Amino acid sequence: MATVKLKNIYKNFDETEVLFDINLEINDKEFVVFVGPSGCGKTTLLRIISGLEEATSGSVIIDDKDVSNAPPVERGIAMVFQSYALYPHLSVFENIAFPLRVAKVNEKELEEKVFKAADILQLRDRLDFKPGQLSGGQRQRVAIGRSIVRDPKVFLFDEPLSNLDAALRGDMRVELAKLHQNLKTTMIYVTHDQIEAMTMADKIVVLRDGVIEQVGSPMDLYHNPKTKFVAGFIGQPNMNFLKTTDTEIKNKRLVANIGDLTLDLAVDVSSTTAGDEIDVGIRPEDLGVSASKAGVQMSVDVVEHIGATVILHGSVLGNSNFCAVVPSDSTIKPGETVNLIFDFSKCHAFNSSGQALKKTNKQI
Amino acid sequence: MMDKYSLLHKIGIYASLALFILFMLLPFVEMFVASLRPIDHLFSRPKLEVGETMGFVDFMSRFWSDKMSFQAYRDMWVTVPQLPRYIFNSVFIASAVTLLSMCFIVPAAYAYARFNFRGKTTSLTLFLAVNMFSGAVLLIPLYKLLRSYGLLNTYWAMIIPGVAFLIPTGIWLLKSFLEKIPYELEEAAFVDGASRLYTLRRVILPLAVPGLIVVGVAMFIGAYAQQFLFAITFNQNRDYMPLPAGIFEFIGYQTVLWNEMMAASLVGVLPVLLIFLFMQKHLISGLTSGAVKE
Repeated sequence: MATVKLKNIYKNFDETEVLFDINLEINDKEFVVFVGPSGCGKTTLLRIISGLEEATSGSVIIDDKDVSNAPPVERGIAMVFQSYALYPHLSVFENIAFPLRVAKVNEKELEEKVFKAADILQLRDRLDFKPGQLSGGQRQRVAIGRSIVRDPKVFLFDEPLSNLDAALRGDMRVELAKLHQNLKTTMIYVTHDQIEAMTMADKIVVLRDGVIEQVGSPMDLYHNPKTKFVAGFIGQPNMNFLKTTDTEIKNKRLVANIGDLTLDLAVDVSSTTAGDEIDVGIRPEDLGVSASKAGVQMSVDVVEHIGATVILHGSVLGNSNFCAVVPSDSTIKPGETVNLIFDFSKCHAFNSSGQALKKTNKQI
Repeated sequence: MMDKYSLLHKIGIYASLALFILFMLLPFVEMFVASLRPIDHLFSRPKLEVGETMGFVDFMSRFWSDKMSFQAYRDMWVTVPQLPRYIFNSVFIASAVTLLSMCFIVPAAYAYARFNFRGKTTSLTLFLAVNMFSGAVLLIPLYKLLRSYGLLNTYWAMIIPGVAFLIPTGIWLLKSFLEKIPYELEEAAFVDGASRLYTLRRVILPLAVPGLIVVGVAMFIGAYAQQFLFAITFNQNRDYMPLPAGIFEFIGYQTVLWNEMMAASLVGVLPVLLIFLFMQKHLISGLTSGAVKE
C-alpha cells in the first residue's frame, strides 16, 4: 500500500520559479510517468518527492503521512539515478547490499535479500564484478537492484534509460514493465521521451514550465489532449497543426476553412465565436491517401520508409512541416504530390490560448 | 591518436627534456661522485704549468679514479655517531606532520568541495595568500609563540609550524580531487539512509585514495624539505635534530668532511625516494571509472 499525494507544491530556486502549484494524486501500485521537455521541472518534482530537494511550500504525503520534512530514508522510497550512481570501488554485491549495510541488517538476511534481487535482475553471476566491468544495461540493473533490496513503498526513477543505446532502451523498457508487474509497487518515472511514457505508464503527467499540463492514461492523452502542447508532445511523429481565422459556427459545430479545405468539427463551441483563431490538429497516422483527386494536395519533400509504414514529409496548405503516415506499399517519391483525406472525427481544434475545444461526438 | 609531431619536433622535445632532466639530476651526480672520493682527493688539483690545459685523462679522473670507494658511507656513522638518530628524527617529524596535517586537510577539503557557506571563496584565497609568506618571514613571531607555549626544543617545535604551513596547499590539492567525485554518489547514499560521516568513510574516502596518496606524498616531501629552517631556529636539542640540521656536524673546526656529508645527505634522501617508488603505482587515477556514465 503506497499512495503519494502532492499538495500545492511550489519550488523556487532563488528568483526562478520552477514549480507552480502542483497538485497530484498517485494511487497504490500505479506506474506514473512525469514527462515534459527539459527544464519543465519534472526532475525537481521527483527530487522533492524523494526528499533530496525541499519544496518552497506545499506538502508531500506518502501513505497518508506527511513526509514533507522527513529525510529520504524515512519516506520509504528508493531512487534510481540517471547516471546510475554506483559505487565504483565496491563489488556488485556490495553495491546492492549498501542500503542494508547502512540499516545494519544481519549478514544472513542481507545475503538472502541481495541474492533475491540479483536473481530478479539476472545479476547472479556478476556479483563479484566491479561496476566498471559491466555493460551499461547491467549497471542500470545493479542500480535498480540497490533500490529493490530495501523493499521500498515507492520507486523513483530519474531518466534511468537515457544513457543507454536505442536497442537496449527498448529491452530495459520491457524489463521495467515486468519488474513493475512482479513487485506491484508504486513507481514514479521521469523521462523526456514520450515513447517511454506511452509504453510504460498507467498514468502520464505532462509538465510544462513548472505546471501540470494534463494527467491521464496514455491513450486518453493521445485521443483527448487538453492542450495544443500535450497534443504536440504525445505521439510520434508529432501532430500536424493548421492555423486559420476563417471560422464559422454552424449548428453548434465549428466550421474551419483553410484554403480549399473545409473542416466540419463536432466540438464544443460555447466559448468560440466566428472568426476566432483556431489551430486544427490532426495526427499523421489519421490522414488517408485518396486514390482520386479528392482531398488536399501535399507536395512531398522527404519519404521515410520505416518498414511497417511510410512517413511523408512535405507541405500542405502553406504549412511546410506537414507529416503523413501511409501504408508501406505506397510508392510515392520525393517531389510528387499526393492527395490527403482528413477524417473530421479525428481532428482536434485548439483556441488561440492553446486549449482544446472539447469534442461533442455529434456525428454529421 | 594521430602522431602530430614531425621528427624534428620530436628531436627538439626530447633534447630539451634531456637538458632539463640533466640540469635537475647533475647536483645528485655531483653529490654521489663527491661522496665516493677520498677527502684529500677532493681537494687535489692536477699540477699544471701556467698556460697548460688539463689533459683528458686528468679531466676524467675528476669523475672517476681508482681511489674512489664507499669508505665515506662507513666513516660517516663514526664521525657523527648520532646520524641514525637524525635520520629517524627526519622521518619521524615528516610522518607526524603528514599525519597531523591530513587530519585537518581531509575534513576541510571535503567541506570546501561540497558545502556552500559564507566566506568560502574569501577563506580559500586567504589560504593561498598565507602560503605566499615563506616560513622565514614568520620565524620571529613563531619563535615567540612557541616560547610562550613552552614548545621550544621539542619535536612539537618542528611539527606544529610544519603542519600549519602545509595545510593550505593540502586543502587546495585535495579539494580538486574531491570535486571530481560525482555528487550523485552522495545523494544515492543519502537516499539509502547513510549519514554524512558514513558516506565519507564508505564512499568518498575510498574513492579519494589516489588523491589522498598524492596529497600525503606532497605533504611528506614538503615536511621533509621545510624542517631544516624550523630545526635550526626552534630547536637546540641534538636528540631532536632532523638530518638537514644534523649534517652541520660534518663541518669541523679544521676541515669539512664533504665526502661524508654528501654520503649522509644521499642516505637522508633515501626515505623520500623509497616512498616515491612504492607510492608511484598508487598514483594512477581512473579508480572512479564506472561510477557514473559520462
